[in-house]
Amino acid sequence: MMIPRLFRDLPVTLRVPLVTAGLMILMGLVASQGVLYALGRVQDARLSETARLHVEGLSVALGPSVLRQDVWEVYDILDRARSAYDGQRLLLSVVADERGRILAATDPPRAPVGNSIAAFQTGAVAPETVRMTGEPVLRVSAPLVIQGREIGSIVTELDVTDLLAERRSVALWLLVGNAAATALLAFGGWLAVARILRPVGTLVQAMDAAQGSPRPIAEAEIPRGDPGFARLIETYNRMTTAVERRNEAERRLAERERFVSLGRLSSSLAHEINNPLGGLLNAADTIRTYADRPEVVRQSADLMQRGLGHLRDVARAILDQNRLDRAGQPLRPEDFEDLRLLFEPEAASHAQVLSWQVEAPAALLAQLPAAPVRQIALNLLLNAGNAAGQAGQVGLSVTGAPAELRLSVRDSGPGFSPFDLARLMGSGPLPPGGGVGLRLVRDLVEALGGRISHDRHGGMTEVRVDLPLREAADA
Amino acid sequence: MACTRRDLLVGAVALAAPFLSRGAMAQAQPFRFALTPVFLDNDAAIISTLRAALARGMGQDIELVQRRTYQEISGALLDGSVDAAWTCGYPYLQHRAELQLIGVPVWRGRPLYQSYLIVGSGDAAQSLSDLRGAVHAFSDPDSNSGFLVTASDLAKAGETPEQFFSRVIFTYGHRNVVRSVAGGLTRSGSVDGYVWEALALAEPDLTARTRVIARSEWLGFPPFVARRDRIAERGVETCRSALLGLGDTAEGREVLRLLYLDGVIAGDDSLFDGIARRMAVMAR
Repeated sequence: MMIPRLFRDLPVTLRVPLVTAGLMILMGLVASQGVLYALGRVQDARLSETARLHVEGLSVALGPSVLRQDVWEVYDILDRARSAYDGQRLLLSVVADERGRILAATDPPRAPVGNSIAAFQTGAVAPETVRMTGEPVLRVSAPLVIQGREIGSIVTELDVTDLLAERRSVALWLLVGNAAATALLAFGGWLAVARILRPVGTLVQAMDAAQGSPRPIAEAEIPRGDPGFARLIETYNRMTTAVERRNEAERRLAERERFVSLGRLSSSLAHEINNPLGGLLNAADTIRTYADRPEVVRQSADLMQRGLGHLRDVARAILDQNRLDRAGQPLRPEDFEDLRLLFEPEAASHAQVLSWQVEAPAALLAQLPAAPVRQIALNLLLNAGNAAGQAGQVGLSVTGAPAELRLSVRDSGPGFSPFDLARLMGSGPLPPGGGVGLRLVRDLVEALGGRISHDRHGGMTEVRVDLPLREAADA
Repeated sequence: MACTRRDLLVGAVALAAPFLSRGAMAQAQPFRFALTPVFLDNDAAIISTLRAALARGMGQDIELVQRRTYQEISGALLDGSVDAAWTCGYPYLQHRAELQLIGVPVWRGRPLYQSYLIVGSGDAAQSLSDLRGAVHAFSDPDSNSGFLVTASDLAKAGETPEQFFSRVIFTYGHRNVVRSVAGGLTRSGSVDGYVWEALALAEPDLTARTRVIARSEWLGFPPFVARRDRIAERGVETCRSALLGLGDTAEGREVLRLLYLDGVIAGDDSLFDGIARRMAVMAR
């Protein structure tokens, strides 16, 4: 399992030549086997022919002498035949009479006159059926026949060490030759395949570039000679453009979301502005009516000052939420006060109970940028407020740990729908319908290197966002 | 039957001879000289040199005839198909009535030689008695050194070769006896001492694989013979002169050198008394 997996992990420009080399080795083995088989056949035929000619020739020469049981003549013929034979193929020839008693042999001490030939016939085969068995010495046995009458027998030992050596040598050369040819062809295959697959490499590089955001391939790099690849790369380029456009659209959508979230607060904010206005107008009337009563005027002026101060704070919070030049500003406790100012009227309009705890010290908050954290908290609060419904509960707590800041938003709503969870936690395409607020939370958290977790207990839904602190992250 | 036919043939040839012109005979057919088969018959150089030397000495063409056995040579001599022969003392004595010496080779200063009993170089046997039950090689049943000596030694002890040895083979050649023993085909062999010594010089590797364990007394060297009734014929006479004069010509000296011989003397039958005594033992 390990090897195939390793193999799968290899680049295609290496895998294809490896497969080619493997096939070459297989082909080489098959071809070598064929050659060795053919060589074996040739050697067998040669051996069989040698044995047959030897035995037949001796049969003709020996016949009369064997018939007369002329030991010397038989020996003389065998001895002269042996010395006349140039090769060293024939190790031993033994001739026996019809009763199987040895008449003579080329090596009489091994096969003494008068002994039985049976021991030499062990493992012997007929000349026409002799085959290479891997043994260095093979035995051939044949009857001596004169005019249809069997008058004796002959056993010959054939030395085939040279044939075995030839076979070994051929096998070795085949191995070396095939290895060299395979290596050469595999290298050639690698070069060719690497050249053919170069556009694929370019494509892979372009896809891997810029942290996963694919970049289009330059016109000059498109292999015009290969229509298939050219089409593939053009399609890829079109896809990258489409992805770029989609990203752009998502970015704009996210940008708009900041206004959208405020837009969703607008009616409650309008109330927030409208409510003090009635008091302010009353105070103005009181001043006009009781202009001569300094304590009433002072009291009304105080009232107006408080009302206007509140209006100023709300306006500033709205402005802060939308100010683009605040990008890069560090997070402060005031940012959470702003959020509270913006969200509190919304909660109040639905008679919701809002709990608000910002415990993280300012020094810790300052390690994070203000704009994305505010947006994250606001979107989660809006979502929680939505879910909590009339007279529900919504809560925010901001706690700090040495290494990270935790935002926790709770609500008493029914919990996330699978679609909303997909928006918040997943990275897949946005399902149609619904806003992009939760997806924006996810993207912002990801950009800050944080993580989101979701939990539901005691009838409360809790979303926790843990953001690593810059100093800790840098450490 | 064979004897009768042979006698008839001899008689017929003897009767016909006077009517033929000797010159016409000489012109018509070459002198036919038979060579002992048990001798150095494997050396083509010796054969051709001997023929050249004899032809030069006789002043006529020579045909050297080779046969497998002494019996065939004796038969050819007696039926007249050869004019003279280099044979062995034993067949000469067997046909002493019909045959006559025309010369005896001199080897190492004497017209004598020995029979050797040989075994393989690694064999422990020290004498003939150690070879009981062995496979033994003789050269020819009509050979003195290659059969008669060993057979008569056994006969003295009341044995025959067939009883004494487990198996007896005839190789029809002294060199073959040496090959047989050297190659291990037979454990022992009876061989012409002159041939063994000549082989020891010519093929030392062959004789080195054998060991001489017994040597016979000195016996008459294998002689040149012709039919007694043709001894006066010019061809036979010329042949006799050529043989006796081998040492006088360059070709003759060359052939003597090749045969390791000193020369040829006329010799007499007393040289073969030793062989005759052994024949007598066998006849008992």
